Amino acid sequence: MKQIIDTVHHFFVPRHTNNFTAKLLHHDFLTIYLIVAILFGVGIKHMQQTGNILGYATDVTVQKLYELTNAERSKINLNGLNYNDELAAAAKQKAEDMFAKDYWSHYGPAGETPWQFILASGYQYEYAGENLAKNFMFSDGVVKAWLDSTTHRDNLLRSEYTDVGFAVVNGILNGEETTLVVQMFGKPLYSKDTVASQRPKSETVVAQKPDVVEQPVAKPIVSEVLAYDNTPQNNNFFSTYLNINMVFFAILMFALILDFYFAAKLNLIRVRGKNLIHFMFIGFIAIGAFIIIQGSIT
Amino acid sequence: MNTLVKHLKIEVKKHAFDYLLFLTAGVVFLMGLNIFRGERLLEFIILLSFVSFYIIWGIYHHIIEDSLHLKIVLEYILIGFAILFLIKVLIFPF
Repeated sequence: MKQIIDTVHHFFVPRHTNNFTAKLLHHDFLTIYLIVAILFGVGIKHMQQTGNILGYATDVTVQKLYELTNAERSKINLNGLNYNDELAAAAKQKAEDMFAKDYWSHYGPAGETPWQFILASGYQYEYAGENLAKNFMFSDGVVKAWLDSTTHRDNLLRSEYTDVGFAVVNGILNGEETTLVVQMFGKPLYSKDTVASQRPKSETVVAQKPDVVEQPVAKPIVSEVLAYDNTPQNNNFFSTYLNINMVFFAILMFALILDFYFAAKLNLIRVRGKNLIHFMFIGFIAIGAFIIIQGSIT
Repeated sequence: MNTLVKHLKIEVKKHAFDYLLFLTAGVVFLMGLNIFRGERLLEFIILLSFVSFYIIWGIYHHIIEDSLHLKIVLEYILIGFAILFLIKVLIFPF
């Protein structure tokens, strides 16, 4: 036990065994951090080339986006949206069109509208909507960003919608490798409840098509693995990487605080950089990392 | 805890301008990242600028304090670049 405490002190507290500077802040250790950081970058590139992790897909997946969207809707007692392959195809077409024509907007340079893609996919809508996002690292970040924006939130939580489709597509946009997320909402023009409300209430018609009247529109939220999800997945690789970074930053900041405290207490005079500025620097970078993993929406 | 706060206060008071300058740069760094969210190249340029500023701040501060030493410059460079390479993976995840 004493040996463990001694080792911890050696790494975190300035004393005679570490030349009065926490061992974790010595130049040899700082060099190791730099080498490990470089190796991480090279290793990840190598893993991507060998196919162990994906080229430039992040941890955003269609399944997670779908689950989170329905979870948010269920919080305010809205109907869960049904996954619609036609809307998903429209979303994919829209993303590919943005890459092909190099734009990042709901409307294309030649006046292309989201509705064109929806109609072209064969989905005749009564209501339709679109949300876009790019360069997000995680699915929950995408949905959170949409919820934080009034217009996107209104779209996501619109009670009229019954169907949804997603596309997560990688490509080159404005010369940069980009991950685009397209979310298309819709309600079919002749949905079952529309037909029900428009149909004259005659016994003959109801008798002819009884299933139309009885079928409820709202479906329970699906949570199992869904067959439609062919999004490239990285098995939470980037989430783990982010966590490792944050633990490293926390350990480094803890060592800086202890080193500063004991150096001040013991009135040590050392040839060293300023712990307070290192601490502030790492703090800003850690906050910055959380901004970086957020992409942008439109 | 009191000792820590006391010495922090002394350090900040002694070099108030330097720390205020760094604090301002840090806030500008975060604002820049927030404004250009999703623009990977710009995010990397902002990160690189902040790391460079941190190293230059270190050199400037120790010149003013008359305590500049190669070991100190190396310390700022090692910390700055280690963090730059770690965060680069999050900006360019490919």
